[in-house]
Amino acid sequence: MEFNLENPLENFHDLPNSQCVSSLFLIESDHIPPLNYFHSLKSNEFDASVRSDFISLISQLSCNFDPFVTYLAINYLDRFLANQGILQPKPWANKLIAVTCFSLAIKMLKTEYSATDVQALLNHSDGGFIFETQTIQRMEALVLGALHWRMRSITPFSFIPYFINLFRLDDITLKVLKDRASEIILKSQKDIKVLEFKPSIVAASSLLYASHELFPFQYPGFLGTISDCSYVNKESVVECYNVIQDIAKEEYESMFNVNSSSGTPVNVLDENFLSLESEKTNGTNVTPTKRRKI
Amino acid sequence: MEKYEKLEKVGEGTYGKVYKAKEISTGQIVALKKTRLEMDEEGVPPTALREISLLQMLSQSLYIVRLLNVEHVDKPPKNATHTPPKPLIYLVFEYLDTDLKKFIDTFRKGVNPRPLPNSLVQSFLFQLCKGVAHCHSHGVLHRDLKPQNLLLDQQKGILKIADLGLGRAFTVPLKSYTHEIVTLWYRAPEVLLGSTTYSTGVDIWSVGCIFAEMVRRQALFPGDSEFQQLLNIFKLLGTPTEQDWPGVSSLRDWHVYPRWERQNLARAVPSLAPEGVDLLSKMLKYNPNERISAKAALDHPYFDSLDKSQY
Repeated sequence: MEFNLENPLENFHDLPNSQCVSSLFLIESDHIPPLNYFHSLKSNEFDASVRSDFISLISQLSCNFDPFVTYLAINYLDRFLANQGILQPKPWANKLIAVTCFSLAIKMLKTEYSATDVQALLNHSDGGFIFETQTIQRMEALVLGALHWRMRSITPFSFIPYFINLFRLDDITLKVLKDRASEIILKSQKDIKVLEFKPSIVAASSLLYASHELFPFQYPGFLGTISDCSYVNKESVVECYNVIQDIAKEEYESMFNVNSSSGTPVNVLDENFLSLESEKTNGTNVTPTKRRKI
Repeated sequence: MEKYEKLEKVGEGTYGKVYKAKEISTGQIVALKKTRLEMDEEGVPPTALREISLLQMLSQSLYIVRLLNVEHVDKPPKNATHTPPKPLIYLVFEYLDTDLKKFIDTFRKGVNPRPLPNSLVQSFLFQLCKGVAHCHSHGVLHRDLKPQNLLLDQQKGILKIADLGLGRAFTVPLKSYTHEIVTLWYRAPEVLLGSTTYSTGVDIWSVGCIFAEMVRRQALFPGDSEFQQLLNIFKLLGTPTEQDWPGVSSLRDWHVYPRWERQNLARAVPSLAPEGVDLLSKMLKYNPNERISAKAALDHPYFDSLDKSQY
């Protein structure tokens, strides 16, 4: 009964078989908040700010865990909020929801933990609220009900092995590409613009973006492969690619600002400049994030 | 649980009692299945969470009984102990009023005993293979397939797999929760011989036994102990040798058995067409690795005359 984000269906084999893959594409929409959630967040600044408050709460709780825990908890959160609607926030209720999504994610991913640890974590964070076990249990039941117990979320990570296999890469290239794509997926989840797209589209676009950064010469080939895949809508991939590009650029810019204003060791900055230099000499048109450590 | 009105006990699932019940707000008839999964201080236990969510995912298939809901119920305190009750987890499934065992019985006993129509056997077997292929593609073994676990929607002619054993956290049960003896009739020889590394082949063996039973209207291998069960199999298919099945004599519970010769399988299922006998023999291969997969079975010539577009 293992569960991991890359393999929500518990296959026996590492390579997804064709039947498995088609069922992933078939049911992925059951595992994301409906589009009207995206629209309401986009049109309503208040809702969007409530969501980002929730995300900071979850990130605070899960900062010492695997980043997949955070990802899964936020997936639960979005689906729960879409189902329940975003209400006038009460600090304690928000915290309870965040704690519940976090603890469900931890249970699903089999991370060593105990509820008492979660409590301790909470108390440390800002001396805030202590919930009774029964209160958390009740909230857990509420979240499970709202999510129809579909806790084996199908996320972009579930599609990465499928798409990346289409590229036929050697193991090292594959890992580098996959790591960068995963990083982009994790990063972009916090941005509401990505909520418009299905997990498979986010996966395809992130891989394409990562390949553009890392292996620009192979990018056209990858783009062709993805476009030929009958499961994905080409236009959606292009739209999502643009969104992801913006997010990655912001990431780069903010990193750059942090670097210049903080006491970052000089050699890190040097490395950035060096990489920019070398790209210029190579004459390739690649975004500087290419050299980010992955 | 006040949302449901229990109507009657309809059976003993392998893992607990099953009730027919009515959802009060909608009038919908459902099957309530009590599990042994208890809530603890930390809410739903991680194993229960992962297993039920897998069940939920599997039940998206038309050929798997649909999981409608999951309910927590406070267990009524049994006697005057003062420990607070631990809530139990109930699974709420769609209700179907008959199963393949009862269905076959109506053709065997009843006022008008007659064979099942060939087209019906073919259709039910196809649906069964579809459901099993679905489970296997999700990495899940059923491990207790039997006619009682195959529910039928008679009006629509649909067969649905029930009682998915909530995965590997449970071992193949010898006795059910309620001490009812679990039937051995559909159990694969590798399980009977104590193999610990069994795989999808165990379900295919059961499918083969069920296929034969639909044709014969009686069980193919009705054994009443593990030993008798093996002898029944050996008498029909011959005592397996290292040649048929490499490694068989090193299995944990292997003994020296009388050497029976393999009988003609067609004679056990006289009314079955040759393609059917061929498919059956591929499902009942001794070597689990040689058994046909559920997915491959769907493409077997036995189903050539079936209109697959409606499934």
